[in-house]
Amino acid sequence: MPQPLDTVKGFGVTFKQIFKKPITQEYPEVKRPVYPRFRGRHRLWRFENGLEKCVGCSLCAAACPADCIRVVAAENTPDNRISAGERYARIYEINMSRCIFCGYCELACPFDAITLGNEYEISEYARDDQIYTKDMLLAPPIKRTPVADAELYDTPIPYYKEHA
Amino acid sequence: MPISEILLAGASERDLTKLEEYHMVGGYAQLARARELEPAAILAELDASNLRGRGGAFFATGKKAGFMPRDSPRPKYLTVNADESEPGTFKDREIMLRVPHRVIEGSLITAHAIEARHVFIYIRGEYLTEFEVLRAALDEAREAELLGGVTLVLHRGAGAYICGEETGLLESLEGKRGQPRAKPPYPAITGLYGAPTLINNVETMATVPKIMELGGEEYAKLGTPDSTGTRVFSLSGNVVRGGNYELPNGTTLRELIYDIGGGVPDGRELKAIIPGGSSVQILTADQVDTPLSYDAMREAGSSVGSGAIIVIDDRACIVQLGLRVAQFYMHESCGKCTPCREGTRWMVQLLNRIEDGDAEEDELDLLLDVCDRILGHCLCPLGDAAAMPIASYVDKFRDEFREHVRAGRCPYGGESSLERVFAPVDQHRGHPTVEVAT
Amino acid sequence: MSVPELVTVSVDGREVQVPKGTGLVETALAAGIEIPVFCYEPRLGPAIGACRMCLVEVEGMPPKPQAACTLTAQDGMVVKTALTSQLARNAQNATLEFILVNHPLDCPVCDKGGECPLQDLTFRFGPGRTRMTFPKRTFDKPIPISPTISLDRERCILCYRCTRFSESVAEDGELVAVNRGAQSMIATFEDEPYRGRFSGNVTELCPVGALLPTTYRFEARPWEIQTVPTVCGLCPVGCNVNVTTREGKVKRVLSRNHPDVDGGWICDKGRFAFGHLGARDRIVDPLRRQRRRGLQPAGWDEAVDEAERLLRAAQGRIVTALSGSETVEQAYGLAKLMRTGLGAHTAVLPEEISDAVDGFRLPLSAIAGAELIVVVGDDPVEERAPIVDLWLRAARRNGAEVVTTGVGGGAKACRQLAGEDDELGRRLRESDRPVLIWSGSGGAGGAHVAACAERLGFGSKPDSGVFYLPLTPNGRGVVEAWSAASDDEGPDPDPIGLLFVSGDEAASDPSVRSLAERADAVIATTMFQGSAVGWADLVLPGTSYLERDGTFVNLEGRLQRLRRAVVPPTPDELAWISQLAGRFGVEVSPYPSVVFGELSERIFGGLPYGEVGERAALRGREPTGELRAPAPAATPKGRGLRLVRYRPLFSGAAVERVPELAFQRPAAEVQLSPQDARRLRIKAGDEVDVRSNGTSRRLRARIDKGLVAGVARIADEHAEELQATVEVARA
Repeated sequence: MPQPLDTVKGFGVTFKQIFKKPITQEYPEVKRPVYPRFRGRHRLWRFENGLEKCVGCSLCAAACPADCIRVVAAENTPDNRISAGERYARIYEINMSRCIFCGYCELACPFDAITLGNEYEISEYARDDQIYTKDMLLAPPIKRTPVADAELYDTPIPYYKEHA
Repeated sequence: MPISEILLAGASERDLTKLEEYHMVGGYAQLARARELEPAAILAELDASNLRGRGGAFFATGKKAGFMPRDSPRPKYLTVNADESEPGTFKDREIMLRVPHRVIEGSLITAHAIEARHVFIYIRGEYLTEFEVLRAALDEAREAELLGGVTLVLHRGAGAYICGEETGLLESLEGKRGQPRAKPPYPAITGLYGAPTLINNVETMATVPKIMELGGEEYAKLGTPDSTGTRVFSLSGNVVRGGNYELPNGTTLRELIYDIGGGVPDGRELKAIIPGGSSVQILTADQVDTPLSYDAMREAGSSVGSGAIIVIDDRACIVQLGLRVAQFYMHESCGKCTPCREGTRWMVQLLNRIEDGDAEEDELDLLLDVCDRILGHCLCPLGDAAAMPIASYVDKFRDEFREHVRAGRCPYGGESSLERVFAPVDQHRGHPTVEVAT
Repeated sequence: MSVPELVTVSVDGREVQVPKGTGLVETALAAGIEIPVFCYEPRLGPAIGACRMCLVEVEGMPPKPQAACTLTAQDGMVVKTALTSQLARNAQNATLEFILVNHPLDCPVCDKGGECPLQDLTFRFGPGRTRMTFPKRTFDKPIPISPTISLDRERCILCYRCTRFSESVAEDGELVAVNRGAQSMIATFEDEPYRGRFSGNVTELCPVGALLPTTYRFEARPWEIQTVPTVCGLCPVGCNVNVTTREGKVKRVLSRNHPDVDGGWICDKGRFAFGHLGARDRIVDPLRRQRRRGLQPAGWDEAVDEAERLLRAAQGRIVTALSGSETVEQAYGLAKLMRTGLGAHTAVLPEEISDAVDGFRLPLSAIAGAELIVVVGDDPVEERAPIVDLWLRAARRNGAEVVTTGVGGGAKACRQLAGEDDELGRRLRESDRPVLIWSGSGGAGGAHVAACAERLGFGSKPDSGVFYLPLTPNGRGVVEAWSAASDDEGPDPDPIGLLFVSGDEAASDPSVRSLAERADAVIATTMFQGSAVGWADLVLPGTSYLERDGTFVNLEGRLQRLRRAVVPPTPDELAWISQLAGRFGVEVSPYPSVVFGELSERIFGGLPYGEVGERAALRGREPTGELRAPAPAATPKGRGLRLVRYRPLFSGAAVERVPELAFQRPAAEVQLSPQDARRLRIKAGDEVDVRSNGTSRRLRARIDKGLVAGVARIADEHAEELQATVEVARA
């Protein structure tokens, strides 16, 4: 059954929006601030004396609902002291393409060794590059700046093209 | 107050360590008579005497002997507990020094009563003189052919308090680590080397010949109905004439401390009394009229225990007392069961902090709760023996504990008169002691 | 057996009927209620009541909590656990608080974290927070009490399980508690390493992370691992094990209690030898001999082509040397290829196997209940089948008499036992539960001892048993499979066209090597470079028991399932056997289940593969024909001592590749009887020269009272090329 009145009402809403200021932002030139508790890219921490806080207990891996953390522990020796106790994480990997940024790893960590930061620009061209190693996680995140001149932008060749 | 001597009868007039002298006072006559009797008749005498174990637990001796199975295919053993280590107690020492033959005679009578062919006397390692006296007596008895086919083994311990606990003693006797066993099975069923074993205190054994002499019923007339006969009480602490006194059960503390012991020296006030060795609850000065009998002491909230009366005058700091008692039990805990092993150490840590004045008010409750959590949860009575006295100190002298907390230091400073009461734990040199960080 | 009297016990209001004398912990379990424990472990002997975790309230007993582990069910007993009793709840809470007072709580670092009874019970019964504000007791940690076990005394809760195991199960007495009170700690005597065949079991008994295997240190967490139930393939006992794997690697081996076989214990070889899987000289590609260049890696297609060429070239003159460590399926597949495909019926086995003892079959656990046990043969039981030694110790503790006839003449001892006027034989005849065990070589696969048992009247006694301890883990299964493949017989080939060597054990056997010298060509299947490289023309990579699916037959005759724990780095044997067989027109499936289905029809009564079971049952006794003792092997005559070689438990290709087990390897020593030692003026610990026809070895002397005169016993690896008769003299 045709309802002409309702149709007119509906278009009324549309027309009203035309005269409003748009809220679209020019990402990546303009970056929206995130909330302080926004959960982005992970970071592993060190003590001030340089020792890693992580002892490789794998509790983060146990807590992870996406099963994206892999920890392989090893023993500290006097010659090779990585963390404070007996044990350290020899391998610490997070597969960012699987991570759902729930923050459970942060909750599970008994030593406050892992936290989720505010960085969200972690796209890569290849899936392999999404696996963050311990060194990457220990380092401060690289600040990405928007590219002004597209000509200068050196687009990398995607992994899948290189390794076809 | 007449001192009625039963155990030590004749020992002040004669040197009863000699067999011939002991014969003069009728020694070994009861053994000869007992050997004519049926074992059951001796047990009946013991039952009639209502003799209760002098080690501290007050278990009826006749009843305990009656638990020994009649028809066991395994050998039966009698073990005499001479591992007297309770702080404040030195009665068995006196008995073994002065009437060793009476101990041997009583043991042999009891061995006959339970049809045992082997008697083991487990003597405290530090009692070297007593060991030698006992050994000499034993040699005499052997030469006089008094043993009647019974093998009597004199075994020296190596200085562990826990080996005075009956099952710990058995383990040690077997050559193992001195740690108590789980009960049941009780030693009367599975004791030494898995065989039925009766374990009695030295004083209990030394009483047996006299019971045979007087007759059980006659003996039962001494003392009070719940605690028959006499006991050797060890009086020590802040008292003029400390020492061993044999008295009928039921004598009051006042009689013992003031009439016999001569009261508190230097005109000081009586502050507290420990009536039965360091394992029992403390009594305050106003309880000085309590009779030294099982029921009366229980009503007063303590126990006669091993019969060691420790007098404490008003210069003594109860927190320091508690600390020393707790240190003793921490040092002597065998480490087998959890509450005692961990709890005694925790108690010492808490008491140290209170004594140093660093404690908070609620730590007194924590201390009480730790005591409460040890009490009744342990494998053997050692844990209880540590928790009960400390809890009673806090209960009865709470203000003094509070004073430590409030003042932030010990109000007694170096004035305490405890030096004559308990040795500090660091005297135990040569033993691994637990280091307690404060 | 009399039916035990049943008693009714009420646990938390639930009535349950159990046999009188059942422990309260088990009684509560029968009622579906768990009483938490730390120190209680019935396999370690009587309960000690040390940890005080099992406190319950029992009506009619003194009004304080009672240790449930030390109590037994009595009729009308009313028990209240922490579920219904505040008293018990408080008591358990107190115990846990005390345990945790000095526990370091380093769970994130501790390997036990996640599978720790202390963690679990603390979550369920313990206090949520600590009131302990003092520094905790500290010790040095971790202390390696042996290269395979580390001890963390801070975590230790002094449940005394390990010391009780050492004292009353393994009876080595090496692990003890020292000091007392809060300073008590577990230690080995004088801090010597804990050397024992069963030391690893303490790591499984420990309810906290105090005793842990060093091989598992920081390797994996419980949520990262998979567990594969299989059986150990290193000795003929066939202990049931759980293999822990992570990311496709074996991380540890745990026991999986089969009460009839192993009672939940495994030896250190079974527990720690898994390291050989990743040995540096593991062969992962086929190796083919190429002119002048020696052995070169080859592809699988090339290797199978080459194998086919060699097999065809031999024209049926093929000898197959088996190891006895193949699975039944593998042996059957190989037999089918060789026998029906190539008509090569000759196989060499490392030892003689016989089914004579099957008529006296009994589970191993029955040894513990035996009355009189006689062990004959040259080898110490613990070197051949270590778990059998534990059962013997259990039997001794239970009051059985264990008689060892001494080394040097098992067959003679058997004949003597069966004689009319032998005292020991008479007692065996009279006993209701006698057991005979043959441990050593020259037993004709158990034929000697079975014949002896028959003459002693074992046949009519259902509780009597005979055990023959073979040298190889699956020798029985391999022989059965080999003979099941074909009924034909063929003459022994001469000269040998091709020697096919299956497995590292066969490859390291000197007699197989001498065969290889006579053969035109050699194909070998080995795991390690060291075994066959140098004399084989084609080496095909082998796999380990942890990498195979299939079945094993243990010394009792029990058929057990082997499950693949990890994928081998190379196709397994059955895969290429199947491919090769196809080229000779023989159908062999690459799947063990299919192969088993085929051979089960022939030898296992049609038992389906799926029904072998995780806890395999023992087949009943199988009547054997008339038993006659074979003629005993001739004793070598000559001056000097007879050399008795034995293969020590800690030897073999796998153990040699595990550095952690090096300290357990046998010392270079010769064992002599006291009589010989006196005659030769040799004292224990002396350096001696052992000589025979031109070869000489310098060894240390040990005096063994169990040896008879005229015998010198030396471990295989130290005897090397010594002949059967040796002369021993002080160096």
